[in-house]
Amino acid sequence: MIKPLISRESYAARVWRKTLDGVGVKVGLAWIALLVFAAVFAPFLANSMPLLMSKDGVISAPVLQYLSVEDAWVLATFFVALMVYRLQLGAGKRVLLFLLGAFVAAVLVNWVVKPPVLVIYDDFRTTAYTQVDWRIMPPIPYAPTDYLRDLVSKGLEAPLVTVGHTHLMGTEESGADVLSRMIHACRISLSIGLIASGIALFIGVIVGGLMGYFSGIVDMLGMRLVEIFEDIPTLFLLLTFVAFFGRSLYMMMVIIGITGWSGYARYVRQEFLKLRKQDYVQAAVASGLPLSSILFRHMLPNGIAPLLVAVSFGVAGAILSEATLSFLGLGVVDAPSWGQMLDQAVKSSTFNWWMAVFPGGAIFMTVFAYNLIGEAFRDAIDPKLASKAGHS
Amino acid sequence: MSQPLLEVRNLRTYLQSGGREVRAVDDVSFCIPKGETFCLVGESGSGKSVSALSVICLLPQGIASHPGGEILFNGRDLLKLDDPGIRAIRGSQIAMIFQEPMTSLNPVMTIGEQITEALYTHHPDMSESEAQQRTIMALEQVQMPHASGRFHDYPHQLSGGQRQRVMIAMALACEPQLLIADEPTTALDVTVQAEILRLMRKLQDDTGMSMLFITHDFGVVAQMAQWVGVMQQGKLVESGSCADVLHNPQHAYTRQLLAALPENLVKPVGVRQLSENVAVGQTKNQTPLLQIRDLKVWFPIKKGLLRRTVDYVRAVDDVSLDILPGQIVALVGESGCGKTTLGRAVLQLEPPTSGSIQLQGQELIGLSARTLRPLRRKMQIAFQDPQSSLNPRLLVETTLTEPMKVHGIGANHDERIELASQLLESVQLDRDFLWRYPHEFSGGQRQRIGLARALALNPEFIVCDEITSALDVSVQAEILQLLLTIRQQRNLTLLFITHNIGVVEYLSDQTVVMYQGKIVERGATAQVCGHPQHPYTQKLLAAVPKLLV
Repeated sequence: MIKPLISRESYAARVWRKTLDGVGVKVGLAWIALLVFAAVFAPFLANSMPLLMSKDGVISAPVLQYLSVEDAWVLATFFVALMVYRLQLGAGKRVLLFLLGAFVAAVLVNWVVKPPVLVIYDDFRTTAYTQVDWRIMPPIPYAPTDYLRDLVSKGLEAPLVTVGHTHLMGTEESGADVLSRMIHACRISLSIGLIASGIALFIGVIVGGLMGYFSGIVDMLGMRLVEIFEDIPTLFLLLTFVAFFGRSLYMMMVIIGITGWSGYARYVRQEFLKLRKQDYVQAAVASGLPLSSILFRHMLPNGIAPLLVAVSFGVAGAILSEATLSFLGLGVVDAPSWGQMLDQAVKSSTFNWWMAVFPGGAIFMTVFAYNLIGEAFRDAIDPKLASKAGHS
Repeated sequence: MSQPLLEVRNLRTYLQSGGREVRAVDDVSFCIPKGETFCLVGESGSGKSVSALSVICLLPQGIASHPGGEILFNGRDLLKLDDPGIRAIRGSQIAMIFQEPMTSLNPVMTIGEQITEALYTHHPDMSESEAQQRTIMALEQVQMPHASGRFHDYPHQLSGGQRQRVMIAMALACEPQLLIADEPTTALDVTVQAEILRLMRKLQDDTGMSMLFITHDFGVVAQMAQWVGVMQQGKLVESGSCADVLHNPQHAYTRQLLAALPENLVKPVGVRQLSENVAVGQTKNQTPLLQIRDLKVWFPIKKGLLRRTVDYVRAVDDVSLDILPGQIVALVGESGCGKTTLGRAVLQLEPPTSGSIQLQGQELIGLSARTLRPLRRKMQIAFQDPQSSLNPRLLVETTLTEPMKVHGIGANHDERIELASQLLESVQLDRDFLWRYPHEFSGGQRQRIGLARALALNPEFIVCDEITSALDVSVQAEILQLLLTIRQQRNLTLLFITHNIGVVEYLSDQTVVMYQGKIVERGATAQVCGHPQHPYTQKLLAAVPKLLV
């Protein structure tokens, strides 16, 4: 009775259901979900200004007033994503709709949101904001770039040592709260990992797939292209671009993406070279199926296992690339990132364990989580493994 | 029977597989007299190979156990020997050759080194020159051409038949008393198989060794064995002298196996009529469904830095062929003769070098993928290997309905699912099989699904590329009968590619014989098989081991 119910679901839905089947992947997804939550709601989780306050009978929300364009866009995109996910549409349409939504959100946000140019966090600790009827502060009442100068903070305080203002993870060298910076840094780490690997994967699968499927002259030209891109030292290219064009997170993502696809292309190519002579691929060709179906339905799922492992390392690698840049002091200047915090931990003359453990642990957990998900996904697309697991 | 060399008594071999215990060999007893051959015959999974591996104690120790029985070799129980004891016997007194000549030789050692290594292992104090001499003698013994010059050849420089000869030379170098041959000719062409079998019989006469010969081919049994044992699901259901078992089988299973041989197979009622009609109605004015003219498929051999084309492999060379509607045309030939390439070229899966292929008067060569798509509906293909012919990641339902969707068959998904389940029924499978993955099926079932996929677009012409070669005889018989029934229901035209002459005679109306990329003989099946004209066809037919009951 359950049979038709299960079997009518699409291939993607079935793979998704099986991916979720397991403990490791749930841990991994939970961690990523936590990061996403932290990244999207960062201004509401850690900020120096009250979420909501009432002064002289007037209720105001300073957080909303000071919300930056970027914060607002991330929030809007998140809700667009949620809405698109709810819709009963094909996967391709959903992706298109999401991209469209994200674009519209970007335009709208740029037009509507006009935050004050200057933010002086110390102001929020003056009577204007403290002498109120009532106020709701964020769980972590420090902004990531609030250096607590009015509190005469010395910086590099261990967690929970100062009475009066609690820093759950201590403070960094300029006196900002580490936990707050950790939360805001989620955004960079998540987006750089996903977007850079996404770009690399997109180019890699298409170039590698075409090389493997057509072989011959296409393969030869493609391989030369792969070799050219393999010879580009990503880090030095990044350094050069930073030197010429200044520091930009988006530039980093694109550069890591377009220099990182060659490995994926190699994996896809060699799998496709093997698969193209498989009888079921030949049968698909003989049935006159369109190229996209042959490549992405009949070949890619059968050749994706090595790719997934590579991708989960690629995401990790992109996060680490950003960390390396920040570590070299060439990352994004003002916005916090995990790599930059590690950099501080190393450069400091004393060993401040909280500066190393928390960001290091977060990078480790994120890389680990991607690996867990990649592995679960690889098992899910292999029906043989799934049935074996079902029996034992 | 005189004193037997090997006596297996009530042997049981159980294999551990994922928490389950498989009774691979269950209470098997047989004995092999000196200088004679015992054939173990059975279908895949019947336990014949495991029995042989038990005799030479080559089964992995953690997995296999022998809860009962004894294996007496010259009166000594091999199961009670310790490792060094076994090793002393293995290779020197009992030797083994395997099925796959491609993988059973070490590709990075010359064949001479590999044979001398076997010699040194059992005769550590042999001098180098003597070992070399013995090796060359062994190679001469297996009738290796230019044996002394072949000492420094690597396995890849040899053909499949020559590699199997090297394997035999290696096995015989230490003059064993018992040779275990596990399907030694299954991977070889019939003409090569005939040579190897002749060689093995001659070596047996010369050396007086005994043989435990494992095969699934009753034709080979008839040529090799003095004694036969028939295995089914780990049990020896019948054993006795070769003549008794083959010509007067007692057990129902043996009879069933013998009846399933293509040369003994009975055609489904009504079908014989049709094929005779077709043969008679083969008038000149009938327009062919498929017309191949001067087809060439050449693969360039590229060498050097600039990848210049130095020569071509002429896989299909100047082939012209007409296939009339409703006919089954068998394309026969040995491996590498270009028959599969021809089949694929017809379907435009392999780009032809030159020539013309016309389907119902429409030229196929040079069409773009888009213009070819509507024509693809009319011609389909079914493949040999049940392992790789279905996409392991897709449900049977997707495999069957996706082509229909692309070609606009069926109004919506539900209708296509209905059509797909009807297809499954027409290949005698359960409707519910739609919702399963390929790995859940047996080889025969997969071949049926492969056929269903070929039928999904309701084609007029199907290329069957060795579709029964990887199957057991009884399954092969079912598929062949099914094919005849379907052909009759749908008035299909088939190009049936095979190397099995028995299948050709059973199935086809016309036979085309290919040799080295060219068609050497063609004609009505009865004529080609009964009165072959070309010397190659004669040689091929003479090499086929047949067993008529």
